[in-house]
Amino acid sequence: MAQIWPIGGGKGGSGKSFLASALGRVLASHGKKTLLIDLDLGAANLHTMIEVPYPEKGFSDFLRKKISSLQDAVVRTPMENLFLISGANDNLDVANLPYEQKLKTMRAISRLDYDCILIDLGAGTSFNTLDFFMISQNGIFVATPEPTSIENIYRLVRAIYFRRIRHYYNAAEFKNLEEQSLLAFGSGASSKPELLMQTVKKIHPQKGFDLERDLDSFKFNLVLNQVRKQDNAEIGRQICRVIERHLGFHILFAGNVSYDDHVHDAICQRVSFLDRYPYTRTANDLRELGKQMMYPAGEQLQILYS
Amino acid sequence: MENYFSKLNYYQMLDIKPEAAFFEIRHAYNAALQIYQAESLVSYSFFSREERREILALLEKAYLTLIDEKSRQVYDNELIGLGVIAEVKKKSIPKSPINIFDINRRSNAVVAKTPAAELRAKISENPDIGDILARNEITGGAFKEIRNKLAVELEKIAQETKVRVDYLRNIEEDNVSQLPADVFLKGFIKSYLKCLCLEPADELCARYMLTVAANRKKA
Repeated sequence: MAQIWPIGGGKGGSGKSFLASALGRVLASHGKKTLLIDLDLGAANLHTMIEVPYPEKGFSDFLRKKISSLQDAVVRTPMENLFLISGANDNLDVANLPYEQKLKTMRAISRLDYDCILIDLGAGTSFNTLDFFMISQNGIFVATPEPTSIENIYRLVRAIYFRRIRHYYNAAEFKNLEEQSLLAFGSGASSKPELLMQTVKKIHPQKGFDLERDLDSFKFNLVLNQVRKQDNAEIGRQICRVIERHLGFHILFAGNVSYDDHVHDAICQRVSFLDRYPYTRTANDLRELGKQMMYPAGEQLQILYS
Repeated sequence: MENYFSKLNYYQMLDIKPEAAFFEIRHAYNAALQIYQAESLVSYSFFSREERREILALLEKAYLTLIDEKSRQVYDNELIGLGVIAEVKKKSIPKSPINIFDINRRSNAVVAKTPAAELRAKISENPDIGDILARNEITGGAFKEIRNKLAVELEKIAQETKVRVDYLRNIEEDNVSQLPADVFLKGFIKSYLKCLCLEPADELCARYMLTVAANRKKA
C-alpha cells in the first residue's frame, strides 16, 4: 500500500508545491517509486517545478473520461522513479469538482501502486481541499513563520476538524447540532469545532467516542517553511503544542526549512533546486524531511475512502 | 475553550509536574507566555481577545500561587484533599552556595612582626627606658643609652633617617658646638626618635631642645 502524503496549508505562496516537488525528488532519489499528484485544481503548476513543461496528459483527462484509469494519466518526469499526474491544461471550471468526481478520484488514488504518493493541494479551505487532505492520516501542513500563514493554518485545522464532525452527521442532524452548540456556548461557537465537539459528546456520547477515536488516528505533520535566520526556530513546536492542547489533534512538528533566495532562482531557471544548489542549508533541511518520510515511525499510513 | 483551560489545575496549566522546582515553574511560565501573549506569533488568531485575556489571567494566577512557597503549600494540600495529586514528597532543600571567602575568618598563621612592632614591644618590656625618658633633662647621652638597650646600631638609624652618621654621633656625644642649626637639629631628632619608635616624639624633641639650649648657655 502506498504512503500518501497530502501537502496543504491554508495560505498561498507558503511553498506547498515547491516542497512537494523537492520532497518527491528526495524520495525518488532514494529509490522510492514516487508519484506527485497536482490537485491544486485550477491553479496547477507542479509540472513546471519538475521539468515537465508540456505534460501530454493529466488529471483533467481522467475527469473528462478520456482516460479510464488514473494510472494512465501518469506521465514520466526527467527523473528516475519520479512520476506526475499533472493538473495542467484542465478545464477552467475544474476547481469546483463535483462530489461524485471527488469520491471517484479519491478511490482511484488509493488504488494506485506506488511507494509514496505526494498530493499537492491548493490554498484555502474549500471542501475539495479538506477532503483530499484527509485522504490519508498523514497530512503535511506547510506554514511560514508569519501571522498570515499561521492564521490560515489554524483556520485549516479547524476546518478539517469541522469537516470531520460533519462527516458523521447528515444535514438535518448537523444543523440541529450547531443550534445546540450555539445555545450552549454563545455566538462564538460556530467557528470553534472544539466547542461543537463538546456538544457532540454531550448529546451523542457514542458518536462522540467514535469521532474522538477517529480524530485520534490522524497524525498530522507541520513543516515550517521559509524560516529566516532571525525567526524563532521554536515557533513550529509551539504551534503544534497549541493545536494539540486546545484542539486535541495529534500534530508532529517535522522541521524547519530555511529560507533561501536561491529557491527563487531555481524556480525561475526551472531546474531542481536540490541539484542546482545541493550544498545549501535549505537543501539539507529538505533532505532531512525526506528521510523522515521514508522511515515513518510505526504504522501510521492508512488510506481512508478506500 | 475558556472552560477547557479553567478546568485544569495550576500544574497542568503550566504543564509541569507537581514536584517541580521553583526554577522549573518560572521556566514553564515563561514558555507559556511565549505562546499565549497577545503579541505572540504562535497563537495569533487562535484565541479571541476575551479567551486570551482569560487564559493569561489564569496563567498568572497559577504562577503567582506556585512560585510562593506558602501559597503553593496551601494549594497542594487542596489538591491532595481532592485526590488530584498524590502527596508531594518534600524535596530536600537544595544546597545553598558556600562562601569561598569568609570575611570574618581569622587567619591561624603567625603574623610576622614588623620591626617597628618589635621595637615597641621591647620598649614596653624594658622599664629602664621609661626611667630614662622620665628624667628632667633629656640629652643625647640618654638617647644613646636607649639605643644601646634596644640594640639598634647607629648606622642603621643613619640609613633609615638619611641623617649622616657624624651628625648623629655628635648628637649622642652632646658636642654642643658641633650641632647643626636648631631647625635642622629638630628634624634630625624627630626622625631619630621615630626610627626608635620612642613616643611622644614631639614632646621628647622639645625637651631635648630645651636641654641643648641650656647647655649652649652654659658653654
